[in-house]
Amino acid sequence: MILSVQRSEDINLIKRFKKGDTSAFEEIVLKYQDKMYSLCRHMLGNAADAEDAAQDVFLKAYQALHKFQPDASLYTWLYRIATNTCIDYRRKPVFESLFGHFEEGETLIHDRASDVPSPEKLYQSKQIDRALQEGLGKLSPKLRAIIVLKEIEELSYEEIAETLDISMGTVKSRIARAREELQRFMQKFREQNSDTSV
Amino acid sequence: MSCPQYLLISAYIDDELQRADKTAFEAHLPGCSQCGAALAEMRSLRTAFANVERHQASYGFAARVMARTAALRKEKIPWVVPRSIRFAEAAILLIVITVGILAGKVITKSSLAVKSTNIALSLSLDMFDATPPGSLGKAYLAMTEVRNEK
Repeated sequence: MILSVQRSEDINLIKRFKKGDTSAFEEIVLKYQDKMYSLCRHMLGNAADAEDAAQDVFLKAYQALHKFQPDASLYTWLYRIATNTCIDYRRKPVFESLFGHFEEGETLIHDRASDVPSPEKLYQSKQIDRALQEGLGKLSPKLRAIIVLKEIEELSYEEIAETLDISMGTVKSRIARAREELQRFMQKFREQNSDTSV
Repeated sequence: MSCPQYLLISAYIDDELQRADKTAFEAHLPGCSQCGAALAEMRSLRTAFANVERHQASYGFAARVMARTAALRKEKIPWVVPRSIRFAEAAILLIVITVGILAGKVITKSSLAVKSTNIALSLSLDMFDATPPGSLGKAYLAMTEVRNEK
């Protein structure tokens, strides 16, 4: 129900845009800017590149929106542009360089305002945070994209299949592979961490 | 992991298994320590991801995008004119040039004919009156003519 309302809103915005109403495009940007920025941020690993990439996503959308067919959903189309933009954005392993510059106290894990974590919990969450960040950086761009779409953007398998233009079977196997690689990485990370702490 | 059911764990925690597969997997779970451990591990990964911050675009992001689209529109104006209009413009220009050339030819042709007659006349000695009006010669001839008539 919510999805169909969202879809009909999107269709109206696209219709207005095609008639030359540029404010309709601004509404699209405002509606999806956080989702696109968040995806780019997790794909690229730093704020500056994410800002540039997210802007590029909307510019590409702006140039191609007149060709957009309303039978597809706008947000999966935008996610597709964002994923491809991020995969093409930098072929070098940005996460590795990012991790070196990761500021003390800055975490990937969002501390909820209501939580008052104990120092031990905070330390643990930072460890998981580090492992996740490094692990994401070690994944291939395709696996990183699929796990970010699933775990952070919370898309269904069907939506991911539509976004990445791949079969449901490929979605299943890639997500499983990405999780397996991440788990292996985190396991290694924990082992190394316990070695150094002892 | 040697258990063949292991491949189903990922789809199971995402609740993306078919009902029959889900039931079969749930029946398998209590007897398989490997799958049980892997499931717990995957669930902890999910929990870690659930706490990951969803970043937000910075203040003024939409305005920056719109400024870039406006710049794009300005850049593109000569190229966004539909091809049919550009073709019509070129055709009109071509017609104007052709009409101009043809009209020029006709005009030069007629004016050339007049000009050539004028040139021929101007080159002829008939153009020159031996006794221009008001000259002594003209007066003399007039007197001679009157005398002859008498």
